[in-house]
Amino acid sequence: MVIPGEITEIVGRRSSGRTSALLACLAGVTRAGGIAALIDSEDALDVESAAHAGVELKRLLWVRCGRVRRQAALRAVDMLARCQGFAVVAWDVGDTPPRLSLALAFRLRLAARQGGAALLIVAPRRIAGAAATLAVEAERRGTRWEGAPPLPARLAGARLGLRVLRSRRGPPAGPESWELLA
Amino acid sequence: MRVACVWVPHFAAAAALRAEPELRYRPVAIVEGVAPARTVVDATDEAWEAGVRPGMPEAEAAARCPGLIARAASGERDVAAREALLALALGTSPRVEDGGPGIVYVDLDGLGALHGDEPAIGERLARHTGRIGLPARLGIAGSRPAALSAARLGRRVSIVRPGEEAATLASAPLELLELAPELGAVLARWGVRTLGDLAELPRAGLVARLGEAGLAAQDLARGVDPGPFRPYASPPFYQEVQGLEWELVSLEQLAAVVRPLLDRLAARLDVAHVAADQLTLGLGLADGSRHERVVDLAYPMAEVGPMLALLRLDLEGHPPRAAIVHVALAARPVRVRAGQGGFWHVPEPAGRELAVVLARLTALVGSANLGSPALVDSHRPDAFALEPFALAPGADIERQAPPGASSRFLALRRLRPAWPATVDTCAGRPVAVSAGPVAGRVLACAGPWRVSGEWWREEAWARDEWDLALSEGTLCRLVLDHRARAWFLDGMYD
Repeated sequence: MVIPGEITEIVGRRSSGRTSALLACLAGVTRAGGIAALIDSEDALDVESAAHAGVELKRLLWVRCGRVRRQAALRAVDMLARCQGFAVVAWDVGDTPPRLSLALAFRLRLAARQGGAALLIVAPRRIAGAAATLAVEAERRGTRWEGAPPLPARLAGARLGLRVLRSRRGPPAGPESWELLA
Repeated sequence: MRVACVWVPHFAAAAALRAEPELRYRPVAIVEGVAPARTVVDATDEAWEAGVRPGMPEAEAAARCPGLIARAASGERDVAAREALLALALGTSPRVEDGGPGIVYVDLDGLGALHGDEPAIGERLARHTGRIGLPARLGIAGSRPAALSAARLGRRVSIVRPGEEAATLASAPLELLELAPELGAVLARWGVRTLGDLAELPRAGLVARLGEAGLAAQDLARGVDPGPFRPYASPPFYQEVQGLEWELVSLEQLAAVVRPLLDRLAARLDVAHVAADQLTLGLGLADGSRHERVVDLAYPMAEVGPMLALLRLDLEGHPPRAAIVHVALAARPVRVRAGQGGFWHVPEPAGRELAVVLARLTALVGSANLGSPALVDSHRPDAFALEPFALAPGADIERQAPPGASSRFLALRRLRPAWPATVDTCAGRPVAVSAGPVAGRVLACAGPWRVSGEWWREEAWARDEWDLALSEGTLCRLVLDHRARAWFLDGMYD
């Protein structure tokens, strides 16, 4: 899902697994030695989850925009996408995504191409339109509990499914569903 | 021992021209005192040729030289120029001595292998003085007085061969020594016109008539070193100042003043082969107070553009509260080792570019919201630290995941702050939850996980955590806070 110089969208409703997919991408990039940036519009990153997912925290630049205007997040994305050397610039727009005009979306893609970074947008719905090279939808296809519901002993995990909504470069490599551990 | 002397004629005037290069080739006088009783303390060559002399009232100087430009004397400006000259010399030799305003002695022993022969070293020093805006003359001889006299002979680079000091300097006029006026007048009455005349006077008679001053003058004429070489140690920072005759009221105006200061600092850093890793901007304000900002550079640099951008970004976040009447800018120099990335290293952001981007982001979201996350050694829920982002050494191999880590991990999205929740319970277990846009019946519920800690502090926590699956499809973490006696939605699994 990490395509240098292009925009990838990971969309999904609450508890669909989109954040888990994002952390998996960040873990893969940072463990390979790359530098990643996360613009967190709602200040929602759980650092413990990121560490458990294998993200090299020292190679992650976390921009928390929770208490400032959303416009700041967009400006931060633009700045970081233009800065050469970042392998991934991820933008977690939260549950209330902003309106992104097509011109603005293409401007972001141009910035990503100039900087060479893969721009990941994580949102409840698609916002980049035709500027996105790849768009996948995350959905939770099941939840595993230890012990029988409705009184299980522990949340053991979930099954994450990924469905391609748009791909300008053919079907992406990788499994269509993952087993996530809690 | 071979010594080079770097001598800047009319040093106070040269320091003023360095601060205002647009005045070059124009008659400028440096004056001190209170108007209208100001007197000239120094002047440029152009003013000197028109008859302006030190000690002359400003009004008389203006009458002798129409178009004369007067600038107030500034000790800070002279000190900055003096340190620039010394730093320049340190870029060529590790042993230099401060000989006074506009005079620097450079020990040349052992420099041949590095910089070539003496003419090459002299040319190098003369070229560097031009780059920092202080055109100087060079003299090279076997002693400091001889080197200074050679520099004052008038050529750009004057070299006195070893053992030929007396013969070369014998015909030089006595004015080269810049003796005290009374002593010079006595020697002139005796008919002493050249250094050779003074050098040949009998010492016993000289000390009987003129005392220690006479002997010191003769030692200078003979080129005898007055004492041991006193090496100069560079200060921990370079500083440039700009006194203002008007008040600055906007950051745009301030940037126009700071840029020349940065130009001068960058030139000093360049000739000393160092870079700055910290800038300190001190602003004197019209209300008498002082506004100081320290800007740490994430990457040592000597380029004016990025440094100016970082200063502007910092000042936009912390502007001065009154008009500015004085500007001082200091840079902390550090040695920069040349580095080269490995062939297999993953590309990383360029240090200079990253520093500017981080500064812009800091101005945008605040320093408390920017950095690398780090885990802290605590059982407190959502405990983390935010450390300054710095590029770690490049990695060229796939790193091993830490024990227990899996990229297929069901992540939690934190709600900061946690959402207050309305919860229906049955036998102590939640059966229905409503918190903001999240509301539904509980389909499955694991818990409670009771956590508490630091009961001896005010920031103690004690709460029960539940993992819930709601009927509207959300997997979430619900918390019963025992201290607040309330339910909260702490996060959502996603």
